[in-house]
Amino acid sequence: MNPTIAAASVLAAALAVGLGAVGPGIGQGSAAGRAVEGIARQPEAEGKIRGTLLLSLAFMEALTIYGLVVALVLLFANPFV
Amino acid sequence: MMHWTILLATEAAVEEAKGGLFDIDATLPLMAIQFLLLVAILNALFYKPLGKVLDERDSYIRTNQVEAKERLIKAENLAKQYEQELAETRRQAQAVITAAQADAQKIAADKVAEAQREAQAQREQAQQELDRQSRRHCKPWSSRSMPSVAKSWRSCSAESQFRFPS
Amino acid sequence: MSVMLNGLTSFHFLPLAELEVGKQFYWHIGNFNVHGQVLLTSWIVIGSLVLMSVLATRNLQRVPAGTQNLMEYALEFIRDLAKTQIGEKEYRPWVPFIGTLFLFIFVCNWAGALVPWKLIRLPEGELAAPTGDINTTIALALLTSLAYFYAGFRKKGLGYFGNYVQPVPFMLPFKIIEDFTKPLSLSFRLFGNILADELVVGVLVLLVPLFVPLPVMALGLFTSAIQALIFATLAASYIGEAMEDHGEEHGEH
Repeated sequence: MNPTIAAASVLAAALAVGLGAVGPGIGQGSAAGRAVEGIARQPEAEGKIRGTLLLSLAFMEALTIYGLVVALVLLFANPFV
Repeated sequence: MMHWTILLATEAAVEEAKGGLFDIDATLPLMAIQFLLLVAILNALFYKPLGKVLDERDSYIRTNQVEAKERLIKAENLAKQYEQELAETRRQAQAVITAAQADAQKIAADKVAEAQREAQAQREQAQQELDRQSRRHCKPWSSRSMPSVAKSWRSCSAESQFRFPS
Repeated sequence: MSVMLNGLTSFHFLPLAELEVGKQFYWHIGNFNVHGQVLLTSWIVIGSLVLMSVLATRNLQRVPAGTQNLMEYALEFIRDLAKTQIGEKEYRPWVPFIGTLFLFIFVCNWAGALVPWKLIRLPEGELAAPTGDINTTIALALLTSLAYFYAGFRKKGLGYFGNYVQPVPFMLPFKIIEDFTKPLSLSFRLFGNILADELVVGVLVLLVPLFVPLPVMALGLFTSAIQALIFATLAASYIGEAMEDHGEEHGEH
């Protein structure tokens, strides 16, 4: 195993997870904040808002997961080793 | 270290089929086929019979609701009709009562009037009788002395008492 | 390749937990290799689903009770989902497919999280949620792709390709790319979420074996359920999209 490739893979994995978490984190925060605003404005619509929020949070979460998948590929199934 | 060496050894042994996270092999079509089989099995075992039950219950509830609504309307109509009939009957009863009261009043008035007339007639008759008798028995006031007047009055009144007990 | 893995496994002192990633229990069928642990778990899942269906429909009654009640709730949920995504008129033939997607993924995810598979030792690899294997998720995603192509072609014949140039013709390359990204994102979303759950729980158990991983496990259960819902919802919405646009096109022209 080439140590340079191993080191680069580990670094890249860390970057993939770390940077991949930034965008979805911002998005999820903003979505949750808006949802809370919506619930505060219209408490009777809470059930609907919560369902939509969870669904959209899961979609955003998937973006982080893509980063995680790339990281896992680099760590455990690296094609360059 | 032991782990590592063992792992490396096994990896070397199954070199041509070494594992990994993204190892796509015959599991994929097999899984697809068994998933389609599951769809077919569940369709026969689960979706069709249970869906039929759900639909039947739906239609059952719907027809029952429609029937109940019809029945409610019918019942309301009946209630209205009964109320109308009741009011009608009440009015009739009131009319009957009024008529009977009027009748009774009329009869009573008639009776009273008749009785009064009769009494009047009798009184007049008695008066006439009295007058006649008093004219026959009693002298005029001027030609008689007071005791005789009293006596004759007494007899007159006694006579009248005797003939008219009322 | 397994440097990190070995680092992790030689890190802990108690033999209470072990982290294994990417190790498969291979069966050789002819020239092909299959992942035995995935198939085993999926058979158990399929068996339990069939068993539940048989139990639910064995003695059907107008006023449901017990298993029938539970499965009726599931069926109504699935019907509702399909109805919102595909539409009142067309959803009925797709209820079995979408419902089985939902139920299979849901039971797979929860089986992986709830059943103590570790008690059963395999020669290599370990039993886990079948949806944590890339083969399963790709199979399901490809089936979904086929399903929406089939739906589109059956509804409109070759006119389905009209969808590709539908709002404006330069959308064509994007629409074609979309056909590839749809199954890709479907499969990787499910695979990544389930695998991430298992890994996070595994790492936590490795570090603190008792009690601490419980909240994460609960979160994992929640995520698993949501992922099943998302997969089914997206499949239904793709199918609905493939069938729906044509009517709107007619309405516009």
